[in-house]
Amino acid sequence: MDLTTIKGAIALIGYGLAAIGPGIGIGIVAGSAIEAMARQPEAAGIARTTMFLGIAFTEALALIGFVLFFIA
Amino acid sequence: MELILATAECDPSVDIICAPTNVKELFEFRKAIFEIGGFPITRSVVLILLVAILVSAFLFFGLRKKSVVPSKFQAMTEAVISFVKDGIATDIIGPEGARYTPWLLSVFLFVLVGSLFEVTPFINFPVTSRMALPAFLALITWVVFVTAGIKRQGLGYFLGIVWPKTVPVALRPLVGLIEFFSILFIRPLTLAVRLFANLVAGHLMLTLLLVSGWVFLSSIGDIGARSAIGLAWYAMGLGIFMFELVVIVLQAYIFTLLSAVYVQSSLYPEH
Repeated sequence: MDLTTIKGAIALIGYGLAAIGPGIGIGIVAGSAIEAMARQPEAAGIARTTMFLGIAFTEALALIGFVLFFIA
Repeated sequence: MELILATAECDPSVDIICAPTNVKELFEFRKAIFEIGGFPITRSVVLILLVAILVSAFLFFGLRKKSVVPSKFQAMTEAVISFVKDGIATDIIGPEGARYTPWLLSVFLFVLVGSLFEVTPFINFPVTSRMALPAFLALITWVVFVTAGIKRQGLGYFLGIVWPKTVPVALRPLVGLIEFFSILFIRPLTLAVRLFANLVAGHLMLTLLLVSGWVFLSSIGDIGARSAIGLAWYAMGLGIFMFELVVIVLQAYIFTLLSAVYVQSSLYPEH
């Protein structure tokens, strides 16, 4: 088996590794947002919007991993 | 849809699992249906035009006869518009957000309807899962927020990116370099890829579940009662349908929200 035949498998592992960090990060973002909403329910709207933003920025690395998975 | 049809033609009697055709098929361009002046019109192009017509018709008929006491349809249209105008544009950008509302509304509705085609029966194909479309939408966002920054700060916009005043002098080259790549390259890239990746993943998941359900159920003569596991795939596929609905609405919202945030950061760089 030469390297080209297991290319797909390597890309899969790479994507899995790229997803670890953002997975933890999104968990922290969402957890903190829930905490904020529970402490101050009247600020839930702001917390929710900011949570989506935080998730969107945290996701970036996983998305780059997704792209590399296809072009690898 | 086309993948399902392609798999239906292969012979399920040989083995329990009938291998679906290559996943790369999802990323290849279909044969053109017809051509207009050298431009091949594929199924995706027809669907994109359908999205445009649907969105225009929704807004046109929703706001055609404006009355103080709105009809149900007008109330729905107004709810969507006020969601984008108050919930996204003025909430994120500020008072100037009203100027960007038409663009944000078009982007929101276009992405929403284009992605909803994923769970529409007989279409089953999200047009936003073709990379060209999210890439083009992200390019428009890029042009809008760079233009907004240049109009507001002149060429100092780029200077503010590569030489940020709020950072200690020693760190400015490093932060400037990171900001330069992050704002001008990573931003549009992730914006496009986020939409694309979510839709492709959902489409693949639905296709695989429904195709395996179909293959199992249709091989009832060969593997007997065991083909009933196809029912489980169908049930899971239906569950994923509901999940995908949530994902689609959320992705349309996030795409619009991030576009607004990028414009806001160009208009008010100090924040």
